[in-house]
Amino acid sequence: MDRARKEFEAAGAGLVLIGQLTPRDAAHFRRRREIQLPVLADEKRESYKAAGAKVATVTELIGPKVVAKGTALAAQTGLSQSRTRGHPAQLGGTLVITPDGTVAWSRLSQDASDNAPPEEILAAVREATAAAAPEVG
Amino acid sequence: MLGAATRRQQTHPPARADALADIVLPDHEGNQVRLGDLWQERPVALVWLRHYG
Repeated sequence: MDRARKEFEAAGAGLVLIGQLTPRDAAHFRRRREIQLPVLADEKRESYKAAGAKVATVTELIGPKVVAKGTALAAQTGLSQSRTRGHPAQLGGTLVITPDGTVAWSRLSQDASDNAPPEEILAAVREATAAAAPEVG
Repeated sequence: MLGAATRRQQTHPPARADALADIVLPDHEGNQVRLGDLWQERPVALVWLRHYG
């Protein structure tokens, strides 16, 4: 996701990550993953609830489909999951929000392997940016 | 087990971000950030991570 940061900037949009636990955890995460994006810390998971994200069942966390997809992704990206921090069953997701407060696009994870690809989020951001831009002429 | 839900839940993405706007969270440097300020001037993609793994 951090690799797409410049493309988000070029599209005229912001990109912010929110994770569970503390600012110190967030700082450690940025250093370890070499991420330059801002990372917010939501220890109480207040924003997760307001975003409509869900808590997974065991099958949605470690079911065969989820494990297979996670293994394939790790092989593809070279990234693997380290020790889980925060609520282990809390799922995440993405919202694209325009300046008038409208949620222009959303994809909330249905299981632990369900993450929107950066290209998909970027396409949604470009559409939102175009819609938010004032008409010329 | 793992704090998992006993029944499959549904996600509920909001149509508007009003409930998110006044939430204030610390960033990685400890600065307090009001979420609504993030989209005040331009669209923003907020990505909620499952964990910091």
